[in-house]
Amino acid sequence: MKSSRARSIAANSAIYVILSVMGILWLIPIAWLVLISFRAEPGAWTPYILPQSYTLDNYTRLFTDTQLFNYPRWFMNTLIVAIFTCLISTVMVLMTSYTLSRLRFKSRKGLLNLGLILGMFPGFMSMIAIYYILKAMGLSQSLLALIMVYSGASGLGYFIAKGFFDTIPKALDEAAIVDGANQNTIFWQIILPLSKPIVIYTVLTSFMAPWVDFIFVSVIMKDNYNNYTIALGLYQMLTRENIYRYFTQFCAGAVLIAIPITILFVIMQKYYVSGVTGGAVKG
Amino acid sequence: MIELEYIDYVTLSPLRRLFYRLFQGIRHLPRRTADLAQRTGGRIRKRTVAFGRAAKSYGIIFRQGDVKTRLSYLVMGAGSFLRGQVAKGLIFLFLQAAFVVYMVTFGVGQLALLPTLGIATKKEIWNEKLQIYEYVQGDNSMLILLFSVVTIFIVFAFLGVYLANIRLAYRNQQAAGRGEHLPGIVRDIRNLFDKNLHVTFLSLPSLGIVMFTILPLIFMILIAFTNYDKSHQPPGNLFTWVGLENFRNIFWSNPTQSRTFVGIFQWTLVWAFFATFSNYILGMILALMINKKGIRFKKFWRTVFIVTIAVPQFVSLLLMSRMLADQGAMNVFLGYLGIGPVPFLTTALFARITVIVINIWVGIPYTMLITSGILMNIPADLYESARIDGAGVVKTFTHITLPYMIFVTTPYLITQFVGNINNFNVIYLLTGGGPLSLDYYQGGKTDLLVTWLYKLTVNNQDYNLASAIGIIIFLITASLSLLVYNLSGSSRKEESFQ
Amino acid sequence: MKRLTILVIILAMLSTILASCAKPKETVDLKVWGSQEDQAMLQKMIDEFKTANTDAIYNITLGVVGEGDAKARFLEDPAAAADVFQFANDQILDLVAAGALYEVTRNKNAIVSANMSSAIEAATVNDKLYAYPSTADNGYFLYYDKSVFSEEDVKSLDKMLEVAAAKNKKVFMDVSNGWYIASFFLGAGGTLTIKDGKQVTDFNNEKGVMAGEAIKAFTAHAAFLTGDDAVLTGGSGDTIAAGVSGTWNAEAISAKLGSNYAATKLPTFNLGGTQTQMSSFAGFKLVGVNSQTKSPVAAMTLAEWLTNEKNQITRFETRQMGPANIKAAESDAVKANIALAALAMQNQYAVSQKEVLGSYWGPAEAFGTEMEAKNYTKTVKEMLDEMVSQIQQ
Repeated sequence: MKSSRARSIAANSAIYVILSVMGILWLIPIAWLVLISFRAEPGAWTPYILPQSYTLDNYTRLFTDTQLFNYPRWFMNTLIVAIFTCLISTVMVLMTSYTLSRLRFKSRKGLLNLGLILGMFPGFMSMIAIYYILKAMGLSQSLLALIMVYSGASGLGYFIAKGFFDTIPKALDEAAIVDGANQNTIFWQIILPLSKPIVIYTVLTSFMAPWVDFIFVSVIMKDNYNNYTIALGLYQMLTRENIYRYFTQFCAGAVLIAIPITILFVIMQKYYVSGVTGGAVKG
Repeated sequence: MIELEYIDYVTLSPLRRLFYRLFQGIRHLPRRTADLAQRTGGRIRKRTVAFGRAAKSYGIIFRQGDVKTRLSYLVMGAGSFLRGQVAKGLIFLFLQAAFVVYMVTFGVGQLALLPTLGIATKKEIWNEKLQIYEYVQGDNSMLILLFSVVTIFIVFAFLGVYLANIRLAYRNQQAAGRGEHLPGIVRDIRNLFDKNLHVTFLSLPSLGIVMFTILPLIFMILIAFTNYDKSHQPPGNLFTWVGLENFRNIFWSNPTQSRTFVGIFQWTLVWAFFATFSNYILGMILALMINKKGIRFKKFWRTVFIVTIAVPQFVSLLLMSRMLADQGAMNVFLGYLGIGPVPFLTTALFARITVIVINIWVGIPYTMLITSGILMNIPADLYESARIDGAGVVKTFTHITLPYMIFVTTPYLITQFVGNINNFNVIYLLTGGGPLSLDYYQGGKTDLLVTWLYKLTVNNQDYNLASAIGIIIFLITASLSLLVYNLSGSSRKEESFQ
Repeated sequence: MKRLTILVIILAMLSTILASCAKPKETVDLKVWGSQEDQAMLQKMIDEFKTANTDAIYNITLGVVGEGDAKARFLEDPAAAADVFQFANDQILDLVAAGALYEVTRNKNAIVSANMSSAIEAATVNDKLYAYPSTADNGYFLYYDKSVFSEEDVKSLDKMLEVAAAKNKKVFMDVSNGWYIASFFLGAGGTLTIKDGKQVTDFNNEKGVMAGEAIKAFTAHAAFLTGDDAVLTGGSGDTIAAGVSGTWNAEAISAKLGSNYAATKLPTFNLGGTQTQMSSFAGFKLVGVNSQTKSPVAAMTLAEWLTNEKNQITRFETRQMGPANIKAAESDAVKANIALAALAMQNQYAVSQKEVLGSYWGPAEAFGTEMEAKNYTKTVKEMLDEMVSQIQQ
């Protein structure tokens, strides 16, 4: 008894050491980013590592010096696009994966295979076609167009959620049908409450897309500077003419994006963990 | 142990069972492929027969139909409308009207130009008074092609609705003949939330997928059969159909290109393998460590790794590429320690290792998130019985956790693998495909097929070549993953965990 | 139905009556593309244009598309692109091939005589003028630290390397970049031309191989340093005593070097035993008119306005851009600008970048990369043969 406890303490301490080392390795680039965002000297490269002097200017200039780079506006654009994208794609992904996992109908197998291979064509090659389809719908250069681009084909991302739904016992549905529920209520009232981890996973990943894409948005928005998203705006700071003056500001901008997303992830994680501890009930 | 008896098979450990199955899968590949081909042939024959029968059935319906049913062949929804299903009838009629208007005003014109992809080039007329040329814009081959594809889709969709209209009219006729009450729209809607829930749930996602994936995909595939390159660029110039010419060029007429294709393709596979499995295994181990009973500050540890997700990838990757450059912070730091500059990104082998390692940095937090959700779903009694059997940590991992996880997440692994084959961001932002090499045509030693393609289109505007190569990648990845998916347990025994 | 027709007719009649009564000036809608940093300056030029041209109501909007992205953004959808837009001169062949540019015919002679012949040549394709030159500063030259090098030192690359090595300093040049590395080959008399839509080059002839050997010696030297622009600006005055770059880095480097800031033409290099002047690519920024514009005359008038002598001086004064206009370039203020003076000096040896196709950059960069990595498994001749065969594909 005693030896097994000693062994478990040893194992746990080993894990703490590994986790700490990994944690440090994972945080180094982030720490560096934060450090540069406070650096007073401009430029993208210095022959030393620690900044020689520190300043808050990089942050204040993001909000005061908006004539060249309208950071606040782009931030709001991205937030709006991200919220709607995340709502639409989460619903689409959950509906698709639930249908393909738990409903039985003709051509289900065919759809599964079709979905599997559709995602394999290099996406950037279809950008121009998508641009013209949106333009034909009268949506070019608008935030709505961007929302549609990010969430439109999101149904294809059903694989992970389907794998999750596959693991929920079928007996639950059968019991509900005996109780007189229809398929729709089974989804909303029985399965969905059990699926918090996967819902949150879907929400998080789809919320991220607009914050990180800078290729699609440049094709859609073109010259419409007011509708840029933050990623494209930040990317513009790195052009040959801008990089010297704006690199530290670029880092500050990136830090400011990371903060709300981190908070979101941490809050979501609470539900996530509670969904996880509730796993015992699922059996 | 070519073929095991069932009794021997069940005594194997789950991991070895998996390998056994994989091995058997590969061994029987030729036979299975032959089977598949035979079955597909049979299926095509059956489909053709079925199609013929279906086509004939619409003739029979017409002969046996009464006036209302026959009228449906001309005016959609007549069979419903005249039998009291007002709403359904009106919907059909509206669709027909919309289709006719679309075709007359736009669709027919586009389809007429599809065989040539446009004939009129830009013309210039000198205007003496203004001292300028006046341009008359010609046809735009690209838009003709795109909107023809759209029109063909609309035609097929309409055809489906049209036939449904006839079938419904005939069903109504028969039901009325039997004196039954015809179902109204309310019941149909109710069915959509129960028996036909799959239709409701899939309609919106399918529409999105057709518009934003399938349509552009077919458009891009068709480009591979045209001469859309830098000397045939719309709107100033027309391009047209050239058949299989582009594929001939890739495979036969250009040895440097073929050599580059093979080299980059090999690296793409190596990269996809390492990138996928390093992330998968390490991420799962991380999740297990954090979730282990007795480990404290779980939330803190998760947060540490989540922070790296929260920084947009293009920022962290661009930053890393600066950090790891020959004069970057990492080498400045190593210089303090007296270690000479390490060419992290500038020699082939180092750069290849670097991108895989950095990809671990990028990917593990994601794997940790997704796997902890599923890890918690592993039935507790499995672990319980393993504990009673006296299994250690490693044994529990290889005998219970890993097989279960691979079973549940095979689709995830496949998507990850394919995602890595097409992993544009990590490679493009980190190395840009470099270091470039004279061994390759316009390519570098860490270039994946996608980044190589991207550079070909951006630098040379060879859209036709790019989409031909795109099709080849597509065929390879699609068949590979269909094969793995259909051979793997999670597709065949989909129901066993439910 | 009938009632509707009547209504439409009445409305149409009413509007004609109204139109003939008020007789308002014609409204011209134009869109202009320029880089983000240029927006305020362009807005000022446009406002002045409106006051100077009262024949119509000009409704001019500004969109943000920089010179570097112009071709890509334009060709994605020419119908939605700007009527008047700025672009870098290396994009002109592709733009003309796609039928994107309106041929310049109005006031052609005046434009040709007002601007440098090299700039006009850069805007001309098949003897037709397709754009209005706006700046002549898209080239590169040598920045150096006066406290390390004398004016005599910077005349020869060999001397510079020798001095720098002795003082433990570095000479910076991004050799793994087709744009910069060309200065050796072009200096040795190499050419880049186009035949039947394909790039043709003689960079692997005898002189070319000598140039390749010079690159090899340069990259192998202890005082050689490579990297991107950021390394140059960050390290200037610190470890870097001289570097090859363009005017976009002038502000950063002069801030770093302070009173030691200096610039001049590129040095000579050792070409098989003889000191030979390094060449370079001459680059220009041009203003083009969209061939699909609805009001070509107005668009051309505006394009001409944006590139006239006064506005080229404005560009210099607000953004330190070197003018292509002959008179503007000869003003004392321009001549006193250290970077622009160095560029002008180098321009005598510069070569037009017009006949360079997309297939050049990759193989040239690959050659530079192999040199920097000191991959000497093949001879320079073999590598150049491979480079040329890839460029010519």
